[in-house]
Amino acid sequence: MASVIPDVGVDEHSTPARVPEAKRPYPGALVVVEGIDGSGKSTQLYLLKRWLEIGGYRIHFTEWNSSPLVKSATRRGKQRRLLTPTTFSLLHAADFADRCERQILPLLHGGYLVLADRYVYTAFARDAARGCAPRWLRNLYSFAPVPDITFYFRAPLDVAVNRIVAGRPKLKYYEAGMDLGISLDRAESFRIFQERILNNYDQMVETDHFVLMDGTVRVNKLQKLMRGLLGERIDLPHFAPKKK
Amino acid sequence: MKSARSQSGSIVPPNGRPAKPNGKVSRGADRETGGATGGAAKKKNGSGAVASRFYGNPLPGVKPEELSGSLIVVEGTDGSGRSTQISLLTEWLESEGFAVQTMGLRRSFLVGEDIDGLLAENAVTRMTLALMYSTDFFDQLERRILPALRSGLIVLADRYIFTLIARAAVRGIGRDYLHGIYEMALRPDLTFWLNVRPEVAFDREFKKAQTISYWESGRDMSLSNDLFQSFIRYQSMIKREFEYLSKRHSFLELDGEASVSEVNRELRKRIASHLGIRGTQYKPSHALQHLWR
Repeated sequence: MASVIPDVGVDEHSTPARVPEAKRPYPGALVVVEGIDGSGKSTQLYLLKRWLEIGGYRIHFTEWNSSPLVKSATRRGKQRRLLTPTTFSLLHAADFADRCERQILPLLHGGYLVLADRYVYTAFARDAARGCAPRWLRNLYSFAPVPDITFYFRAPLDVAVNRIVAGRPKLKYYEAGMDLGISLDRAESFRIFQERILNNYDQMVETDHFVLMDGTVRVNKLQKLMRGLLGERIDLPHFAPKKK
Repeated sequence: MKSARSQSGSIVPPNGRPAKPNGKVSRGADRETGGATGGAAKKKNGSGAVASRFYGNPLPGVKPEELSGSLIVVEGTDGSGRSTQISLLTEWLESEGFAVQTMGLRRSFLVGEDIDGLLAENAVTRMTLALMYSTDFFDQLERRILPALRSGLIVLADRYIFTLIARAAVRGIGRDYLHGIYEMALRPDLTFWLNVRPEVAFDREFKKAQTISYWESGRDMSLSNDLFQSFIRYQSMIKREFEYLSKRHSFLELDGEASVSEVNRELRKRIASHLGIRGTQYKPSHALQHLWR
């Protein structure tokens, strides 16, 4: 436990850094998808998950902002618009901590391949777009295990925004970044907010070793590429069903 | 966090008895500042540098110069007499014409009740709990405390970030990590620590509730199956953290085992000096008479 949740300082680059495979304190592996809304990441991770499930691999899928313990607080905060950038960030960190300590870490220690739809980089990109200090955010999430591979799905802003706006009757208050007071028009606020998040993601490509995925490539072609990259980076037979 | 003191090696083993009131505080109270505004800017932190009103970067959108009120923190374990003293201080300050706002743990509108719910079950883990408490803290700070300080009120905090840091630290969460989270917290003008021995806290708590709480005895840490032993060991660990925090953050340490009226007199003396109140005479009203023992 101590090796995964170290007594870290607040140095910006202290974590997450790349952990060499040999030094990882668990037999499992962590696969992450990141990207702005409408970049295609969830679709691709779903397809990857189905492929692994059908193959009988030892996997677990986890989603951002889904802990049952923290859910009611987050819902109330959002519905009544009580959240500031700081409390928004802390509440999501509490949610992540719950999933981390009760799902992700035990499963990594138990030798599972853990698939995460959004991870700490979502907080780094989104909360910084709300005005939280990047250094503070890095410290806040420094207890998180470093992913073995982070797929970053990148689509041009217009493509991504149009995918979301077309499919949704109304953008939610915080989703559209209305709390920032950028614009009274939800669609416009959403677009500007997403642009800030996109810029923050782009800055992490190098520092956090993202694997760049072109979100405009056809779904099945991109999935094939993703499966190939996964096989190169992760020892998949390790997670395969045991032969009798 | 900026602190000249290194993290390691500065934990002092617990001494048998807490310091006596009258004199044995870790630093002198602020000079008279002629009002509520001047105290913080002149205060020094452990490294000797002039401290700002925040430990690190201020909260987004907060202008420190707008905060004209004073933040006074009373820390101490359960059974240290903290809440009693806060009630008495509130009455005294109001009688002196100061408007008072209070804060404490789990009192935020956002997540206060959610934490109560988490504590009642045993599913919650240390990091989640620590972060829920920090959410609770910052919600109160942003929505209640900062507006009060902007309006020139006196904020009396019934515990502050120090209890939260100590509780998480004894559960193995890094101190630098915790100080990093709370670097956006407001630095108190005065921080009092009502220090009592764990044995005395045990007696008082047991007398009050006829039982000892799961969390106050650190039962989640599997220290001992004997509840008394568990309580003493847990509270001793917390006390060690406080001794370290007391040095790092210049607490005013008071003997929480002294009588209510003695502790209260000492608190009034320090606060009066900070706020520029001349007389410190006070007798509790009939409503609070039962606390005066």
